[in-house]
Amino acid sequence: MKFTYSWLKEHLETEHQYNEVVDKLTAIGLEVESVQDTGLAYKDFIVGQVLEEEKHPNADKLKLCNVDIGREKVDVVCGAPNVTKGMKVVYAPVGSVIPVNQLKIKAAKIRGVESYGMMCSEYELGISNEHDGIISLEEDAEVGSSFADMSGMNDILIEIGITPNRQDCLGVLGVARDLAAAGAGKLKTREFKTKKGSFESPIKIEIQDNDMCPAFAGSYIKNVKNVASPDWLQKKLKSIGLRPISALVDITNYVMFDQNRPLHVYDADKVKGKIIVRSAQDGESFKALDEKTYNLKNGMCTISDEEKVLGLGGIMGGESTGCNLDTINVLLESALFDNVNTARTGRDLSILSDARYRFERGIDPGSTLEGIHYATQLILEICGGECSEIELAGKISDSLDTIDISVKNIVKRLGLEITNDEIILILNSLGFGAKKNGEIIHCTIPSWRQDIHGEADISEEIIRIKGYENIPTSNIRAINKVNKYILNSSQKIISKAKHFIASEGYNEFITFSFSDSKKSASFGEVEKLKIINPISEDLDILRPSLIPNLLGSIKKNTARGIESLSIFEAGSQYNSTTPEDQMNSICGVKYGLSNSKTWRSEKKEFDIFDVKNDLLNVINYLVPGNKKILISDEAPSWYHPGRSGKIILNKKIEIGYFGELHPRIANKFKIKTRVNLFELLIDNIPITEKKTTNKPQLILSDFQSVTRDFAFILDKDVKSSDLIKAALNVDTKIIKSAEIFDLFEDKSLGNDKKSMAIKVILQSEEKTLDENDINSLGSKIVEAIEKSTSGTVRS
Amino acid sequence: MVDFTKLEQEITNSLSKVTDLESLNECRIKYLGKKGEISLLMKELANLSVEDRKKQAEILNTLKNKILSLIEDKKEELNDRNLNEKLSSETLDVTLPVSSSLGSIHPITQVIEEVVTIFGDLDFYVAEGPEVETDYNNFTALNTSEHHPARQMHDTFYVETQTDNMQNVLRTHTSPVQIRSMLEHKPPIRLIAPGKTFRCDNDQTHSPMFHQVEGLVIDQESNMSHLKGCLEIFLKTFFETDKLKMRFRPSHFPFTEPSAEVDIGYTKKGSQLVIGEGDDWLEILGCGMVHPKVLQNVNIDPNSFQGYAFGMGIERLAMLKYGISDLRTFFECDLRWNKHYGFSPLNFPSLIRDLS
Repeated sequence: MKFTYSWLKEHLETEHQYNEVVDKLTAIGLEVESVQDTGLAYKDFIVGQVLEEEKHPNADKLKLCNVDIGREKVDVVCGAPNVTKGMKVVYAPVGSVIPVNQLKIKAAKIRGVESYGMMCSEYELGISNEHDGIISLEEDAEVGSSFADMSGMNDILIEIGITPNRQDCLGVLGVARDLAAAGAGKLKTREFKTKKGSFESPIKIEIQDNDMCPAFAGSYIKNVKNVASPDWLQKKLKSIGLRPISALVDITNYVMFDQNRPLHVYDADKVKGKIIVRSAQDGESFKALDEKTYNLKNGMCTISDEEKVLGLGGIMGGESTGCNLDTINVLLESALFDNVNTARTGRDLSILSDARYRFERGIDPGSTLEGIHYATQLILEICGGECSEIELAGKISDSLDTIDISVKNIVKRLGLEITNDEIILILNSLGFGAKKNGEIIHCTIPSWRQDIHGEADISEEIIRIKGYENIPTSNIRAINKVNKYILNSSQKIISKAKHFIASEGYNEFITFSFSDSKKSASFGEVEKLKIINPISEDLDILRPSLIPNLLGSIKKNTARGIESLSIFEAGSQYNSTTPEDQMNSICGVKYGLSNSKTWRSEKKEFDIFDVKNDLLNVINYLVPGNKKILISDEAPSWYHPGRSGKIILNKKIEIGYFGELHPRIANKFKIKTRVNLFELLIDNIPITEKKTTNKPQLILSDFQSVTRDFAFILDKDVKSSDLIKAALNVDTKIIKSAEIFDLFEDKSLGNDKKSMAIKVILQSEEKTLDENDINSLGSKIVEAIEKSTSGTVRS
Repeated sequence: MVDFTKLEQEITNSLSKVTDLESLNECRIKYLGKKGEISLLMKELANLSVEDRKKQAEILNTLKNKILSLIEDKKEELNDRNLNEKLSSETLDVTLPVSSSLGSIHPITQVIEEVVTIFGDLDFYVAEGPEVETDYNNFTALNTSEHHPARQMHDTFYVETQTDNMQNVLRTHTSPVQIRSMLEHKPPIRLIAPGKTFRCDNDQTHSPMFHQVEGLVIDQESNMSHLKGCLEIFLKTFFETDKLKMRFRPSHFPFTEPSAEVDIGYTKKGSQLVIGEGDDWLEILGCGMVHPKVLQNVNIDPNSFQGYAFGMGIERLAMLKYGISDLRTFFECDLRWNKHYGFSPLNFPSLIRDLS
């Protein structure tokens, strides 16, 4: 909310400088968002008087003026049509800066004639859009004086953020009241004489639904003259950035921003019969003051007459009964509307208005009559006319809510020693009634505090005024135990995996949890993942997989000349948009060059075995100890069918996939070269709650080991894992390892044939193997491999 | 009678002229080889009388040892010279580039790990909740009813599924983890909940996805003074400065009462923010005493239990600590950014070694 310091001081008597008050505002929870010295922009502008005015010799539309600015007389070339001799003007001297365009005034030759400075229009000063002529000041303006002082522009504009609970501070009066409670000054009471109504209002008011609208007060004022508002009122509205419209409208706005009392004024001659506050009927429509037509629904609170809807209670008035300069008789409304209903209607119709903003937060019932009296008075003063007695429908409750608080509880909550007397003093300063009764204080809540419902709320009031800086600081290291479970097993796995994968050369990316349904369709059931109100069309679902967003980043990076990209993301992917259907996954992507051509190496591209290696390494790290790992070639459909695999842990747990991205998907993402990637299904990693710190016993043989190599000619589709398995199974004790060390294909081997060579290490734990042992094992290995693969050993 | 002195002289002379290992070997053969001069003289000793033999043998042995030692010295000298020659030819351009193969950890991960490390030391555990939440957990249970004005400040993303006839949402804050955790565990509770959060807002200073960390402490006595103490330790440790200035000021969150926002002192040096110096204030987090209604909603008796909660933005912490100026760059996936602002994978935040 915006207000000026001078406006605040109409309600607050204070000796403090504005900056002290500003600090206080923040300290009591009315957070100052900006402070602006509005006079600063006008500090160089001076009141001047045109002494001479003649036509420019070289230009028809320009005039040469001699202007008295007090300290000297200057020549100014001026293009304004309204400049005349004797006119009091706003003079911008050489060196000053024009607020609207930030141009610095220089002495210049205009069509051959020297000009010093400029005479300004309201537009140029940023006061209004008036740019047809320069400002003509009142005749009593003193030549040479500061324009800022003279015009009242010399003020401080303060903007504060009001949290949703502090509806009471949505008017300058409320802000002053809070400041006074906090010791920043004394609240002034505004004296105004209430003129008694001289007749009964001809417009009666009927409330059909008291829940929607507990009270509606109307004041009928006849024979008004709706004019432009007087200077003081226009200035006030302009000072907080509002556009003055006409006295009747400006007065209601003024009272709203001053006292947080929304009002509405109807052209009474356009109201047919009585005012009826009722629920809208389905299908009814209404044209509001914002010139939009709204379709109403049952349950919305309307202000109607006997024919039509005139306005939406607490939200916006209608066009049909709007006031203009021809309005003669008016009905002024000051009412109470239910906050929940106002919020719902406003949200359903997407209407934002100052009235809605206030009513949905709750309005002080006490302001209903006070506001209508004050506004009626202003209308009479400014627009003349005669007012009726106030017509009040419904009931304004005058009973105040009460709460009993325990001082012990307050102290326990705040962690601050505070006496009964101080609590009572603070509550009184805020307008609460506070009566001590033993350990209990009986509090009466002022009508303007709609946010106070319990002891906790009162505790905030006390500490707010006492000052948060007075809360002591206590040590929290009190629990005498070691926290064993800072991270649970799954959290530990993710953290360890991230660091391990990054150490394999991958850079961690974090992408949006959203994705593009069109590009993600290959990865899951995108219809089940829709966001109702996405931020943009290409982020319209929750991602079914981490892959699409990472693929999206490839193009971005290659466009920046990056040839080699190793990236990963650890995060959630979704099977549907229910809270339960979220799973953790890690995806690593390698794209482009694994080695660039350097002085010591040839260039090489990443291949599927790079990602397979990385995935297996991380699995071995995360699942230490005994395990069985099986690699099958059945990866999901987004992988290249012939160049991908699945890793199965302990015969049944699918723990990860690796392979080349399916070329069709690569194409969709406009990626031209092969992409290799892996996925690690974090949630499938078995969690061993009882971790054993013991490692399995290590048995080291001291007998000599022997290495033997065997090569086979095999069908092309024989898998290396079959060779290894067959070899190892010959003697699981003596055969320590079997590895593929050579692989080639050549026409000489025959069609669809390949040669694969295996290196076997033999070592007994009981003796040194002799030639016989070795040869016998060797033939068994050959036999086993030939049998299981239908291949033949190469001699 | 052989002139041993002359012979010694001759051998010494010829050895001194040797310039390579080959000629040295020839030299050795010439004098000490099977048919070498010394060897022959040795053989001739047999013809001498016992007395002479003994005398001559002594002289010959001395001479032989002397020559052996001379040859050894020469050999070492030649080897040394050869090595020096080899070394002088074996130079490399050591300025030729090499490359590192380590990847990097994202600053968000780093900061979350730092936060977890600090709060872990204060006996907090890490709790989690799903990113798709029920309306009830995200708002209603947190004392934010359907028409509460605070809801409109949240710019909520909605999804197509429902729970109890209410549209599910992408959680707008990590606070629903409070609800889930309190329903699951009885007090005392000390938890933090880092995670992703979502708001339908996308501009210079807002990202539709961002990260928060929530904190919750519920027991029989934790009060605002403890809250202050807790956050003071955290902020000083996190920003790695004991000079940190902290300011609590009143604010409002539907789920805490009293509520506060916390500012930290900073100054600007050039384009860099310096935390711990200066008189300007920067908002860093929101907190407060858990609202009794929230406790009631999770079946905890507010007359027996109380506590505090706090929440802060991970990106903001990262930006302030590591001088990252633009929020949106976190998720732009520009490898150059990740390499510049990322962290070594071997860097595990620790209070024993280094936090960052």
